[in-house]
Amino acid sequence: MYDEIFAKENPAKNNPRFWDELFLMKVNLEYLESKLESVDGEEVQRIQDNINSLFHHCVQALGEEHQIKVVNALQTLCALFRGVHQKNKSASGFDIINMLMGFDKAEQRMKDLMERLDSLLCGDGSESLKSLCLKLLLCLVTVTDNISQNTILEYVMINSIFEAILQILSDVSSRGQHGYDAVVLLALLVNYRKYESVNPYIVKLSIVDDEPTLDGMGMVVHQALTEYNRVHSNHSLSFISRTNEAILLALYEAVHLNRNFITVLAQSHPEIDIAVTPTTPTPTTPTTPLGTTPPSLDMMNNPELPLDPNLQTSNLLITFLKYASIVMQDTKDEHRLNSARLCLIILTCIAEDQYADAFLHDDNMNFRVNLHRMPMRHRKKAVDKNIPSRPLVCAVLDLMVEFIVTHMMKDFPMDLYLRCVQIIHKLLCYQKKCRIRLHYTWRELWSALINLLKFLLSNETTLLAKHNIFHLALLVVNLFNMFITYGDTFLPTSNSYDELYYEIVRMHQVFDNLYCMVLRVSTNTGQWKEAASKVTHALVNVRAIINHFNPKIESYAAVNHISQLSEEQVLEVVRSNYDTLTLKLQDGLDQFERYSEQPKEAAFFKELVRSISLNVRKNVSLNTLSQDVLLKEFSTIS
Amino acid sequence: MDDTEPDLSPTPSDQNSPSPSLSISSSPSLSLPSTPSSEGVGELSLVIDAEVAQRACQEVLQKVKLQQVEGDVTDPQDRVGQDPPGPPAPALTPTVKPLKIREEVDDPEGVAPGSVKSARRRQRHNPSKQSWLLRLFESKLFDVSMAISYLHNSKEPGVQAYIGNRLFSFPHEDVDFYLPQLLNMYIHMDEDVGDAIKPYVVHRCRQSISFSLQCAWLLGAYSSDMHISTQRHSRGTKLRKLILSDELKPAGPRARRDPLTLTPFCPVTSPASGGEHSLSPSKRTHQRSKSDATVSISLSSNLKRTASNPKVESSQDEDSSSSSDSLEFEIGPPVRLAPQREFIKSLMGIGKRLATLPTKEQKTQRLISELSLLNHKLPARVWLPTAAFDHHVVRVPHTQAVVLNSKDKAPYLIYVEVLECENFETSSVPIRIPENRIRSTRSVENLPDCGMTAEQRAGSFSIVPNYDNDDEAWSVDDIGELQVELPEVHTNSCDNISQFSVDSITSLESKEPVFIAAGDIRRRLSEQLAQAPTTFKRDPEDPSAVALKEPWEEKVRRIREGSPYGHLPNWRLLSVIVKCGDDLRQELLAFQVLQQLKSIWEQERVPLWIKPYKILVLSSDSGMIEPVVNAVSLHQVKKQSQLSLLDYFLQEHGATTTEEFLTAQRNFVQSCAGYSLICYLLQVKDRHNGNILLDADGHIIHIDFGFILSSSPKNLGFETSAFKLTTEFVDVMGGPDGDMFNYYKMLMLQGLIAARKHMDRVLQIVEIMQQGSQLPCFHGSSTMRGLKERFHMSLTEEQLQLLIDQLVDGSMRSLTTKLYDGFQYLTNGIM
Repeated sequence: MYDEIFAKENPAKNNPRFWDELFLMKVNLEYLESKLESVDGEEVQRIQDNINSLFHHCVQALGEEHQIKVVNALQTLCALFRGVHQKNKSASGFDIINMLMGFDKAEQRMKDLMERLDSLLCGDGSESLKSLCLKLLLCLVTVTDNISQNTILEYVMINSIFEAILQILSDVSSRGQHGYDAVVLLALLVNYRKYESVNPYIVKLSIVDDEPTLDGMGMVVHQALTEYNRVHSNHSLSFISRTNEAILLALYEAVHLNRNFITVLAQSHPEIDIAVTPTTPTPTTPTTPLGTTPPSLDMMNNPELPLDPNLQTSNLLITFLKYASIVMQDTKDEHRLNSARLCLIILTCIAEDQYADAFLHDDNMNFRVNLHRMPMRHRKKAVDKNIPSRPLVCAVLDLMVEFIVTHMMKDFPMDLYLRCVQIIHKLLCYQKKCRIRLHYTWRELWSALINLLKFLLSNETTLLAKHNIFHLALLVVNLFNMFITYGDTFLPTSNSYDELYYEIVRMHQVFDNLYCMVLRVSTNTGQWKEAASKVTHALVNVRAIINHFNPKIESYAAVNHISQLSEEQVLEVVRSNYDTLTLKLQDGLDQFERYSEQPKEAAFFKELVRSISLNVRKNVSLNTLSQDVLLKEFSTIS
Repeated sequence: MDDTEPDLSPTPSDQNSPSPSLSISSSPSLSLPSTPSSEGVGELSLVIDAEVAQRACQEVLQKVKLQQVEGDVTDPQDRVGQDPPGPPAPALTPTVKPLKIREEVDDPEGVAPGSVKSARRRQRHNPSKQSWLLRLFESKLFDVSMAISYLHNSKEPGVQAYIGNRLFSFPHEDVDFYLPQLLNMYIHMDEDVGDAIKPYVVHRCRQSISFSLQCAWLLGAYSSDMHISTQRHSRGTKLRKLILSDELKPAGPRARRDPLTLTPFCPVTSPASGGEHSLSPSKRTHQRSKSDATVSISLSSNLKRTASNPKVESSQDEDSSSSSDSLEFEIGPPVRLAPQREFIKSLMGIGKRLATLPTKEQKTQRLISELSLLNHKLPARVWLPTAAFDHHVVRVPHTQAVVLNSKDKAPYLIYVEVLECENFETSSVPIRIPENRIRSTRSVENLPDCGMTAEQRAGSFSIVPNYDNDDEAWSVDDIGELQVELPEVHTNSCDNISQFSVDSITSLESKEPVFIAAGDIRRRLSEQLAQAPTTFKRDPEDPSAVALKEPWEEKVRRIREGSPYGHLPNWRLLSVIVKCGDDLRQELLAFQVLQQLKSIWEQERVPLWIKPYKILVLSSDSGMIEPVVNAVSLHQVKKQSQLSLLDYFLQEHGATTTEEFLTAQRNFVQSCAGYSLICYLLQVKDRHNGNILLDADGHIIHIDFGFILSSSPKNLGFETSAFKLTTEFVDVMGGPDGDMFNYYKMLMLQGLIAARKHMDRVLQIVEIMQQGSQLPCFHGSSTMRGLKERFHMSLTEEQLQLLIDQLVDGSMRSLTTKLYDGFQYLTNGIM
């Protein structure tokens, strides 16, 4: 029968029931697709009417009561989208629309299609059908490599299915089955021409404030990340498949666009093992336990949480931090590098959000976060199985410190380092502003930062070929300036201020060398002149400290005839000599550039979305739902 | 007597209107002398219809008269028909024991004639002179306390039935205080008492959800000491089942409002409970109660896919309030008790699960996450029974909850945000405000252009997305507009927060270099760290210390700021301790005794200070406690401050000459005197520093009455002293020779004299609860005698003074107190 479509004649001319019968037959996807591909340019013109007609009838069939017809129509549509795009890779979007639907009809056809899909997704129909609808949409969204060139999506923008996606996410059982596809679809739709035009999905996503829906979205992301973490803990690093960029992108869009989503990050629930959660829809009991709000989380179905003392309480943020710690371990692979970058971008957004900062620093919300640490030769095997339970910001800082000390390599991930240092800076700014005295071992951070400076110095030439190391050095030095000038507002103890000075004086050579280097570069003319001179200015207080205390320490050693001063002795010298030291107040230490996606990150996201599109297209298989399963299901219904 | 109750039932009544004079003397059938006391009855507002009540009372009194004339012989046949058809009538005792003549007490001081006591005594002396008894019952002086006492002591079914009816005439709050006694009598005493009490209880249950639940909980708890086989068929269990079956709904005119009982013609009372005691509720309770299920349905329908639609958002308020009317038809009958029971069950479930976790830290974490889940189900028609006003619980600020110090149980303290309302049964349940709304209400902290509330944003959004299929919809103008309206989406100039501190921005303008001294920074650091000495350090092993030390007002303000409901004018913060695995019945008994003594002391104008804290018994091994706010335990004080008690007072309140200190010292002394007496009278044991709180005003407050009367911990014979009076306490009072110390002893004397005067009011509480109880505090046979003896009725005031001196001396010199503290330190780590 397909052949008849590809003939010139109107297939319905001889058989008025042609279309009815067509959708009763099993779809041969391969044949249809290859047939479409094989048609050459001129033939296209001739069969266009028939294709338009096929498309039209597909859409019509979606409204049929007969479920088999609906299934077949959905699959046929998918084949149509794919086939036509395969055939006309170079063709403009308008030609494709013309070929599929005909220009004059396109608007109406797509409107009908989207409405039908919408009602299928929101209806009480079969779950398999909903799944197929989402697959069709994913297929449509990813037919082009560059999502923004997919002109058909313009109609998806006009005829929004956003509400349908939200409904899927807000309902417990449908979320379990379709949540993942729905979230990926949403993430992709949001990225359609996001920089060029008004994307209604962006607008709508940014104002969602319905808790169950947002929670649902969070749960889907949470489960996907947990699954990854679980696989990782069971296998070696190399075994791990690709990181899940699509889910990460969804998380990013939610965090970046939707202010309300931030609360979802902190929504605590016990760690869920995917293997345990049943995939079969649990029947939602009509009686709501407490009477007002319907159960909104998965575990609300079973009134009691799983009772396991070893079960750690978790939340999306913790899971995300663990995930990030795994992803950041190895950044050589391009996908992993992208994922690590995206993780840091998400953390940047989180660190800039006041509400997120509030719960990161909440003293009442202590958690034990097991970050993954790279096994390193010079480092003791992680004995800290018993890491204390602390406010979450400690885990974020740990993660940053961990990244700093483990990525000083030839192929220097400058971009990641910059983000990392900026995240720390943002957190410090929050602590300074809110006078939060975090009990954190700042010393680890200081020594990590000093080591980073050391690395920059010793690899100056190789690094300078590719990166502006002065910018990074400036950010690092300014972190120290934050501690020096505003330490009184956020350091936990008076001793910690002494320790800061101790650390600077102890590692004075690094600062001395850095000063020499930046001074040298800034006095020469060259592209780095200005950048380097900024660092010289930033170093003024650090140098004042070194120049002030070093002679004091030396004379103390001389007077007391000690060759090697103990830490306690140095601290004593530091304590007794503060008063003669004058520092310069530097401007703008507690200000930072706010994150903005455009224009800086636009290229990154374009590439990322392209990569995700390719991956999704590869993995969307309509055949996963075997005909048998569907037939079985529908035989009982119809 | 057969027709007493049926007569009562059908007539509707109005509680609010003053009932016509119920003067018995007007009844010719009673040969009672017209006494002035009968006027008082007229002032009492009665629930039951005046006419009916009058008839009932007459009959009852007639009966009393007859019975007394007949010499305490009751005809068993007389009462067969009266037994309710519901519970099968157990074998009736054919005879009623003669009135127990209470041992006479020697009262040298004498009591003014006409007073309660003399009336009682006279009655006891002359059981045949019923007129005195009747006059007493009708007198103004006849209060709930006396009613309970006679209900308990009189073995006359007629008297009991009369008092059962009289209960209706007392204010609800007064009777509520004696609810444990009433119900314990109902459970453990004979049929007649039960029959006398039941109509009242059933009537109140119909009126009030909270009363129903109270009864159900108490009935369960006080039935638990019965043998399991008898328990199942006991009256208490049956009544409990009846209440929990939720069949005791308000009957009568309310049916009109109830959509399911469509016609007023169908029987208004449930068959199980109907008939024999369907006292019509007063009109006051005819307000319609909106069902919880209703609200839930209207909410859930709103939460559907349209939730992000600004239009629905804005109309949600009217929706759920208006829709409930129509929705009521769709759903089943309103489940009155279910939400609250479910709420309590969840809280208990949390406690049970916490107990399985090994460390405090894990417990705390688990608690927080469990509560955050609970939050999803709120607001609901649930409330804290320990609160003093009607309200709905809207949110549990889960991060504020703390696990309390306990070795193997997991009691925990939660703070609960509530919205005060007129009547929690009828006022509509507040609409849920999403957690993330906090951010929009906190607009002060946001940059002005970011300070848009969600509504504003939603409002501005609605202009944009009228996507015609017109190409013009994509014009540049719209983009520009959108960028202005949704800054956080497209522009970088502004985001969720602003962190630019003002000082650094202004310093940008000055070109002059500013110098600062490193020494100043260091000094400021140490100064600021030293500035907050009154907050406790966070200790993972003692998470409650910090939470409890924070002044209540500050905590309220802080939580209010962070709450999406905080802006509402009727927002209140409550707290409650949830105990799971602990029997609070003794605590409840102690609360009642304390409350009674407190009102006695108030009545006698003795300035002793005690703080009874409310107890809610949920079962024999669970319950809730109203926490004492602004108070930390002496243990926590000492551990955190590392100071002696006196030094701590000096630190908190200032030098000994300051007014603050003197006030705190006076508070300390008055509370010490109060609790010393309590400890002595009730034999409160286990008095280590973890069980004594110190509040912000200097009062001490004893908590944990797990060992009272006949029980003491481990029965080691420790703590033989009358009460805890350490040298540290005495130091705060200014030493054993100071004025304040003498004041302390004087207060105790006055307090004991006052308590002695009203001893019966205290004894009665304890005595009734002893019935059928296996509680350790009633262990042995001498509990009541011992308690009575400690009031020392026989001593003169001079002798009493001597006694007090001895007690104080003994306690001060007592080594055992010190020993016991050491023992506690060794075993529980309590300082």
